[in-house]
Amino acid sequence: MLERHIQLLVTDDAAGEAPAATRERLKGGFPAGSTRRMTTLGLLVGSALKPLQPGEDDALVYASGYAESCALEGFLDSFPTPSPTLFQTSIHPSAVQQVMIGLQAPVREFLPLSGGRLLAFHALRAALLCPSARSLLCGGEEKGTWLLEHGLASNRTFAFAAALTVESPADWLGTVRLLPAEGPGELGLDGLFDLLHARKPFWGMVAPGWRLELTWR
Amino acid sequence: MRVIPASIRLSAVGCVTPFGDAAATHEALLRGARALAPVPVQGLEGGDLVPLALLPGRALDETAPPAWLPAIRRLGDGIPGGDWGSPGRPVFVTGSNFGVGGLYALRKSGDPKYAAWGAPPTCTEQLRGALGWGPDVSIVSLACVSSHLGLLEATRLLQAGLAEEALVLSFDFLSPFVAGGFHALKILNGAMPSPYRERSTGSIGLGDGAAFAVLSRSGGPWKLEAQSVYNEMHHFTANRPDGSGFFRCLGPVASAASGRRVWFKGHGTGTLEAGRMEVAAATAAFPGAPIVGWKGSLGHTLGSCGLVELAIAAQSLSTGRVPGTIGGDEPAMSAAIATEDFTASGFDGVVCASNAFGGAHGAFLLSHA
Repeated sequence: MLERHIQLLVTDDAAGEAPAATRERLKGGFPAGSTRRMTTLGLLVGSALKPLQPGEDDALVYASGYAESCALEGFLDSFPTPSPTLFQTSIHPSAVQQVMIGLQAPVREFLPLSGGRLLAFHALRAALLCPSARSLLCGGEEKGTWLLEHGLASNRTFAFAAALTVESPADWLGTVRLLPAEGPGELGLDGLFDLLHARKPFWGMVAPGWRLELTWR
Repeated sequence: MRVIPASIRLSAVGCVTPFGDAAATHEALLRGARALAPVPVQGLEGGDLVPLALLPGRALDETAPPAWLPAIRRLGDGIPGGDWGSPGRPVFVTGSNFGVGGLYALRKSGDPKYAAWGAPPTCTEQLRGALGWGPDVSIVSLACVSSHLGLLEATRLLQAGLAEEALVLSFDFLSPFVAGGFHALKILNGAMPSPYRERSTGSIGLGDGAAFAVLSRSGGPWKLEAQSVYNEMHHFTANRPDGSGFFRCLGPVASAASGRRVWFKGHGTGTLEAGRMEVAAATAAFPGAPIVGWKGSLGHTLGSCGLVELAIAAQSLSTGRVPGTIGGDEPAMSAAIATEDFTASGFDGVVCASNAFGGAHGAFLLSHA
């Protein structure tokens, strides 16, 4: 069994909010002038991650299926004179790098994942396997435009960041456990986000052979 | 200090490059052959000629299904065992391109046939079907150290006793998307790369490449030790000028290699500042170790370079000959740069290192089991 305690959790569901409104809401949390080149996902993930105060010894696991969809769209639209800035920001895992480079915050372990129906399981497994005392599990998606029409972008915009600890701090919020078990199952990133955002308990299969137990105090 | 303390075995490795499989690639490198050739940076749309190493007969522009799929299938045919993608035999797919060539073709043509392979989740799902894998297929992507992270994740799962074997497979195939992006950054220009050589202007080449490694708790001819990573988070496209981030990555590997004689397979893309930083850190961490880099021939296979070059390093250990650094004839940045091939006898192993955007670094020690 793999187990960690949830020490801190930040979630942001930008459902129904226009990207410009999301940017306006979040830009105050970053140094003036630094947000112009940040993606919406970068602002969202960064806003969720910063309160966790990432440290060099934390393991940082990042999950996003489609990542910087809007930068990707913009880069493709920039041909035949491709934009170097959009190329940089379109590369997975730019969202986390935007905020961590802004903070000049090195981290020994940074594990960025992509995926589909099992992405939540893979991200949780990666975070729970990290040998560090504290793992930071963050993730998110930003809604695409023309890529979404082809099923190549998320249809939601959200982000989360959770600090997971081996030891149980006094003010721990919940516990996450992964256990080998028999049977099929799947859990995408949006499914995990919904559980975390609603602080909803969960007991069930999240991948073939793996069961998740998510409990809250 | 977080480094995997115990070793893990590699029971099989393989790769495909424009030269062919690992044996053919190793032999070509020993001959000093270059796979890089001038290609218009935007393929059919033209543009400047830049050094790219494409699989034989493959054009830069993407097709549907991708023209590189047969090469991946052949690579897959060489992977021993079965039941990959089951809970006991998980797969870790790494890389940095996935299907972006399809995205470029989709945007140019509007033809939805290119969409199926267009994003990491959809591309990997297609690959899973093509190779007959089960559902447990993780996708790990951190630019040019992606393969290192896949190896690290696979190792952890094995060492936790949660899998019998693990497969890491990495693939990166070029397209106008990635060639255009590096060209826009001005590090992919008309000059052939000359890694670890002093010249007036740095340059890189890009290459097609794919590779796999089967990790096992029980046995295999190679041993993987001291996997180490470090992320500077200093700059999007540059390392810390003092090399401290890379040196911190190499520290645990140097400790593991203490008392052993190693050679050093560096990242060596051909950029000047990064090359000097690498050489300084490597010579400080591994005094006396000859340094080689093969991207002057194969080009930079991006997120797959760590695994492609691991397969070539393993071939070097098996055959006893190590290809030297391929590139121009300008003065080497250090006397440690091996410009000719040399014998692997007398060495206890090889340190393989990669560097990536964001100041991400990865390294490990590979040796005979």
